[in-house]
Amino acid sequence: MSIYFDYQSSKPVDPRVIEAMIPYYRKEFGNPSSLHMEGDEASRIVEECRENIASFIKAEPDEIVFTSGATESNNLALIGFALRNRAKGNHIIISEIEHISIHNIAKYLTKNGFEVSKVPVDQYGRVDIRKLLGRITERTILVSVGYANNEIGTIQPVLQIGELCRKKKIAFHSDAVAAQGLLPLDVGRDRIDLLTLSSNDIYGPKGLGVLYVRKGIRLNPLIIGGGQERGLRSGSENIPGIVGMKRAVEIMEKEMEKEVERLGKYRDRLIGTIPKIILRCHLNGHPKQRLANNAHFRFEGIEGESLLLSLKDKGISVSTGSACSSMTLEPSHTLISLGLLHEEAHGSLEFTLGRFNKEEDVDRLLEVLPGVVERLRELSPLY
Amino acid sequence: MKSTHYSEKVLDHFRHPRNTGTLKGEDVARGRVGNPVCGDLMEIYIKVRDERIQDIKFKTFGCGSAVATASMVTELAKGKSLVEASRITRQDVASELDGLPPVKMHCSNLAADALHDAINNHLNKEKRKSQSVKKVRCQKRTIIGEKEFLNKGVYHKIDNLLVFKDKRVLVLDKGETSLEIALKLTKQTGRVVFVTSSKDIAASVTLRAKARQSDVKFLYQSEVLEVRGTDEVERVLIHDLDEDEEYELFVDSVIILQGERHSSKKKSARLLNNY
Repeated sequence: MSIYFDYQSSKPVDPRVIEAMIPYYRKEFGNPSSLHMEGDEASRIVEECRENIASFIKAEPDEIVFTSGATESNNLALIGFALRNRAKGNHIIISEIEHISIHNIAKYLTKNGFEVSKVPVDQYGRVDIRKLLGRITERTILVSVGYANNEIGTIQPVLQIGELCRKKKIAFHSDAVAAQGLLPLDVGRDRIDLLTLSSNDIYGPKGLGVLYVRKGIRLNPLIIGGGQERGLRSGSENIPGIVGMKRAVEIMEKEMEKEVERLGKYRDRLIGTIPKIILRCHLNGHPKQRLANNAHFRFEGIEGESLLLSLKDKGISVSTGSACSSMTLEPSHTLISLGLLHEEAHGSLEFTLGRFNKEEDVDRLLEVLPGVVERLRELSPLY
Repeated sequence: MKSTHYSEKVLDHFRHPRNTGTLKGEDVARGRVGNPVCGDLMEIYIKVRDERIQDIKFKTFGCGSAVATASMVTELAKGKSLVEASRITRQDVASELDGLPPVKMHCSNLAADALHDAINNHLNKEKRKSQSVKKVRCQKRTIIGEKEFLNKGVYHKIDNLLVFKDKRVLVLDKGETSLEIALKLTKQTGRVVFVTSSKDIAASVTLRAKARQSDVKFLYQSEVLEVRGTDEVERVLIHDLDEDEEYELFVDSVIILQGERHSSKKKSARLLNNY
């Protein structure tokens, strides 16, 4: 098996989660809308899970909407809010380094009569509050800034953004997919109105997400049907998925503190060692305000896909911001927003750690990486 | 199809590239092609004797297919006559590698172009020289937004370097003073970009050596067309003179020193002639 350093892209489902889910495929297969015994059990378990997941982010159960995943949650948050609140204004602000789903939703909204401004970030990827303030107009109805960046791991000044939005009476949406399980989330503390969560990103099953919708925030549904999820998201509930996410949350609540400490140590080893043993290698993202599982570097003179392929040959799985590994052949918009040149973005590698990484994985990476970089630099006309 | 879904042959050439390195000598010509958007840069060196490619080497900055196609084209061209070699097409290279992922057919399939460039350069070295001289132009055009953002991120003079703490600073080449400022700024911030229309650092030998060792990022053969932002500087529009391409770069400050222009221009012109 390979050494996996790409937890940001996908996570394995924790075996304890799978175990909790199985009965809900076999025995407890009821539909919560039905009035018989099976239906009663189904609606009971959905509400129990809703409570658990709500308490994970310090919310109320009726503020939780189950969706098919983070992308749907982001769609419901932005498009649902924009359509419902059009009378108040048509201006939305996102940051330059949002997840690609937010960027593309914003593009869709601009085609449908909304205006979208993008607030730049500093060289470490933090949103500049002053620049955010400078973009707010009378017509601004929504600000969407991710809790922490999925690529470079930079943590945003969420509380400051939340306070600014509350003061200006603007709704604040935050995609917390990268941050969940690594930072304690509290929607009240951070003045968040809409929050996106994903089940898989806490080692739960794929195909399930959550949108937290603060009481009083109005959305138009995007999926119309039998009126499930208080009419905000129709369709029969994905009960095994919901049960799985609940179990993932339970495990996370118990183990998060220790796991963050453990992963943080690995991360610090990577950040402390790699730029020392490899010349002309730089850290991307914030040196301190970063997720415990994220180490992101750029290597001068070489290209990320070549690095990725070389590491793959050594049994190590990583990600790169290089255009050459993407479908569009454009480099990562996040790295470009940091002020990096294309060639620098091309030479970037991302390591995201997770639950099943061990200290030996870090040892192995540190042992292999310098040779791989050296070989490619020998081939490079730029180094 | 995934962009990294490579054939075994591509992977083999990536893992064990043939004919890597450079060549030197009177009878050596170099071809160089690149696509900054895709991030590939390729150099092919040919040694020609009796109209035949006697030896060939390559260097590549790029993805897996960039390395593999360069490696393959050197194998295909080695020993061939110039006429035969100039008939090698991108398609030939891709076919010999058992195909490339469709998205890579265009951008990472530059090897044949680099080979043809090398052959052309061999056939007409003189013409090439006059071309490259033409490329170094020290044109002075107005930068859009320079006045609008003056003291809102655009600086004409520097009083206090601490202003630039942790900022992304772009310094325009206005002679040695501007370069010295760029070097000093690396103590304040990790991000200093120096933009010059020259092909290399135009400065005294010691200063140039210092600059090369430094963390200053150099953008050669480039000029700033426009400064952009909402209330203050947020981005600049850069024109790559060599590729004739424009792109945006996120920055916080732009330093355009005033006054020294005339003398420095002469100096840079003189230094450039040494290349």
